[in-house]
Amino acid sequence: MNKLTSKHRKLAYVIAIIVLLIPVIWLGMPSTGEEGSGGELAQLRVQHELGESTLGDVDPSSASMNFVLLGLRGIATNLLWMDANDYQKKKEWAKLRSTVDSIILLQPHYMKVWDFQGWNLAYNVSAEWDAVEDRYFWVKEGIKFLNEGVTRNERYPELDWKVGNLHGQKVGRSDEWRQFRKFYKVDPDAERYEGGPDPEINPERLDNYQVAKEKFLIANEKELKHKQHLQMRMLFRASPWHAQFDYANAMQREGKFGKQRTDAWAQGFKDWTTIFGREEFITPKGPIVLEWTEDDIKDLAGRDENITEADVRHWTNRYQDTSNYRFWRTRALSESETETIDAHKAIYDGEQLFRSGKFDEAKVQLEKGMALYALVLNKYPSLLSEDLAIEEGLQAVILWRYIHDLKGLQIPASFPLKPLWNKEQGRVPELENDLRRRYGIQ
Amino acid sequence: MSFDPIPYDLLDAFKHFFSVFGSTMLIAIVVCLIVGVLTRGLSGVGDVFRGILDFFVQIIHVSCRRVWSLSILTVREALRQKILFVFIIFAVLFMFAGWFLSGAADRPDLQVQSYIDFVLKAISWLVIPIMLLLACWSLPEDIRLRTIHTVVTKPVYRIEIVMGRMLGFTLLGSAILLVMGTVGYIWINRQVPESAQYKLVSKVPVYGSITFTDREGAPTAAGINVGDIWMYRSYIEGATKARAVYKFRGIDESDAINDKLVLQSSFEAFRTHKGNMDKGGILYQFIFVNEDKNLRVPSRPLINKEYSDNVLEINRKLKDDNADGGAGAELDIFTDLVDKDGNLTVEVQCLEAGQLLGMARPDLFIRTPDHTFLSGYSKAVFGIWLPMVLVIMLGVTISCFVKGPVAILTTLTIVLVGFMSKEYMNELLSGQMQAAGAIEAWYRLITHMNSQTALPDGPVKIMIEIVDTGIINFLWLCQQIIPNFGVFSNMREYVIKGFDVSWDAALLPGIITTAAYILPCLLVSFYSLKLRELEAK
Repeated sequence: MNKLTSKHRKLAYVIAIIVLLIPVIWLGMPSTGEEGSGGELAQLRVQHELGESTLGDVDPSSASMNFVLLGLRGIATNLLWMDANDYQKKKEWAKLRSTVDSIILLQPHYMKVWDFQGWNLAYNVSAEWDAVEDRYFWVKEGIKFLNEGVTRNERYPELDWKVGNLHGQKVGRSDEWRQFRKFYKVDPDAERYEGGPDPEINPERLDNYQVAKEKFLIANEKELKHKQHLQMRMLFRASPWHAQFDYANAMQREGKFGKQRTDAWAQGFKDWTTIFGREEFITPKGPIVLEWTEDDIKDLAGRDENITEADVRHWTNRYQDTSNYRFWRTRALSESETETIDAHKAIYDGEQLFRSGKFDEAKVQLEKGMALYALVLNKYPSLLSEDLAIEEGLQAVILWRYIHDLKGLQIPASFPLKPLWNKEQGRVPELENDLRRRYGIQ
Repeated sequence: MSFDPIPYDLLDAFKHFFSVFGSTMLIAIVVCLIVGVLTRGLSGVGDVFRGILDFFVQIIHVSCRRVWSLSILTVREALRQKILFVFIIFAVLFMFAGWFLSGAADRPDLQVQSYIDFVLKAISWLVIPIMLLLACWSLPEDIRLRTIHTVVTKPVYRIEIVMGRMLGFTLLGSAILLVMGTVGYIWINRQVPESAQYKLVSKVPVYGSITFTDREGAPTAAGINVGDIWMYRSYIEGATKARAVYKFRGIDESDAINDKLVLQSSFEAFRTHKGNMDKGGILYQFIFVNEDKNLRVPSRPLINKEYSDNVLEINRKLKDDNADGGAGAELDIFTDLVDKDGNLTVEVQCLEAGQLLGMARPDLFIRTPDHTFLSGYSKAVFGIWLPMVLVIMLGVTISCFVKGPVAILTTLTIVLVGFMSKEYMNELLSGQMQAAGAIEAWYRLITHMNSQTALPDGPVKIMIEIVDTGIINFLWLCQQIIPNFGVFSNMREYVIKGFDVSWDAALLPGIITTAAYILPCLLVSFYSLKLRELEAK
């Protein structure tokens, strides 16, 4: 039997509560946000960046949803995921979008969910729609979705990279790239955006590749603090500078050969050689830089006695091959030269004249472009290691030969770019098909 | 729409009901007779028939006044259990729903769908579980606390107790549903932006039948399969003789809107090459055909906008440039193009070479004068009321023979299976699924045998087949007994897609499904309560 009186018992309870509170407070006191504040657990959370707020913006609805579901979050997510698949199969797009939103309420910090669903909206759902305006709408939805992922997850450079890739590759390289790039600056929903771009996508009214470059730069910045698991580090860090090249190249594809395009290539060369080229990358034989001098080789080899200058040269060479460093360096350099610009312009003009049925003028322009292009390739033979450069020359020759066929003319035995034509015969059938589709050639 | 609204076969439904209900009753009577004879000798037979008669006696003598009093008592008890707290959850949901839904698909037309879907789902997910809990908990709790004695000691029939509970909960649920439905309606109207308000209508479609012709113009069972996982639509090839032929029955002047025939389509495009990307869609055309008068009148070429409403309004009087009577002869759609049997035949042709147009039966319909959004919405709310009543009936019935927690679990299982697994059960039982038997599947799993390979002959195969047959027969029984709750969720889909809820494809099956359980539930609950020892806790 308990001999304590009720009063004593209550007193004992109070003392026990106070005694137990001490470790509870010591361990679990919440942080006030200042460094070093809070209990032991709060400090450990900050130290290891495990707190919700250290992962990114906290969404109260998401946190409360997870709290309410207790341990059933995984099951609920799986059920929603199956629903989303079913809605996608049955083309219930509104339901798909709201289900995807519900999924990320439950899994706000699971990178793959953001990655997959963002890609799914921008690529798969977009492709299901027939009108280009509708496709662009879903590309924007994918970008907006991933933007949300970025704000909620500050520790994933991959997500920033994916956003950059959507702005760059999806908008600029899709089948509908001409329309997409136009919509990027003037949204098809003119009534809503008053003839401007969607401010959530392109607030500063830039080119899609310029925005992509900005996003890739943010990804690179984050990558210095948080490791990415997407691709080889050097290739990941090359993305902003590739976006700059794409920006310059896109203007060329659209027939813009003015100062803006030349400046873009010059900026690209500068970025490539002075920023990316001077960055140190770790190889199995120590650090290397892609834009090197003899002094750099000596300096890098001198940092470790087990590494020779030959090792540094070998690995620099391998990394340059992997990143196609020399090609892009040469390309950016050559694109600033008048001869190259004239070659591109003549080929482009020839194609446009061909499209409008002016075959004689097209033949003249193509011949001029081929001759100039042959000179460029002779001057910079390393350009012949890249598909785009080869294909541009081959396409000019294919059109030029086709005009000969149409006119019933004999194709001359010798013509500019003949060595390239003979060497790259394997690529010709596919390019011919491509041109047939593009120009409606039978 | 993502489903085909097929009219309900009422006669077939009645036949099915009477065969299942009749055979179940017959088996029950036979079992009772056997048990009666075994336990009480020949007098058991008389007892069984007296017991059966008792039900009819009580049913005939049911007093509406007593049932009403018991219903009011049920409502009061439920109110004392703070049932109306459900409105707090409801209010919280609606206060913050805008946060979650406004971002969902930034297009006003798609947002409308999300709003309606949310409101109807929120209402049904709140009302049905609450009524399930109340219905299952009430009677066992009264028995446990012996408060049931205050009722059973009064001159009331057992059947009246059951009916009173069912009616009381139904009244309470209806009142809650009415309030929630009204708030939901106001919320949708306020939430939908001005630019999308036109979406809040209830379209009244007249569907036709669909047949196809192939690229040579010969009739074919279906169009081309373009490899879509969802086999809902069938495709016709552009710039060939391939057609989808829709035949609408019973078309007359009353189907016109302002003297115009309104055709609405939602076809899907499949491109084999990019084609002209700036046009906004693939070109197609309708051809009105009246074989009686040898007329073929094409419409102007139309651009197919995918996943949106393509509306073509055709003046009742139209010119037929191709008619034999010479260019520009004037025709009346309802007198010249509708054939002598009252059918309007519309052929759909894709006009672009190398492109395909996909369609299912509901993808083209004649739009008759719209009903208000309220009309479709209230029918969808009625579509929540019906399963609620069904859940109440099942809950009260089951609570007559088991305790509260068991009744909740049992009813919940029936509702979940009815909502989610009916299709799966149908697939298993229809024989569409290979190696569907439970033991066979288990055997194949552990022996790594695929479903295409035949089971090796021998005693194992015989054993597996015997056991699986038993399981499949049990599953068949469950399928017959468990209500198909799927018929109710279809009603929501109509309103989400902007249609009025179809009477013969949605409302009627819903009403019939609910009504079919009234008599079985009353029978089971009456005999359960009659045989139950109410003193037992």
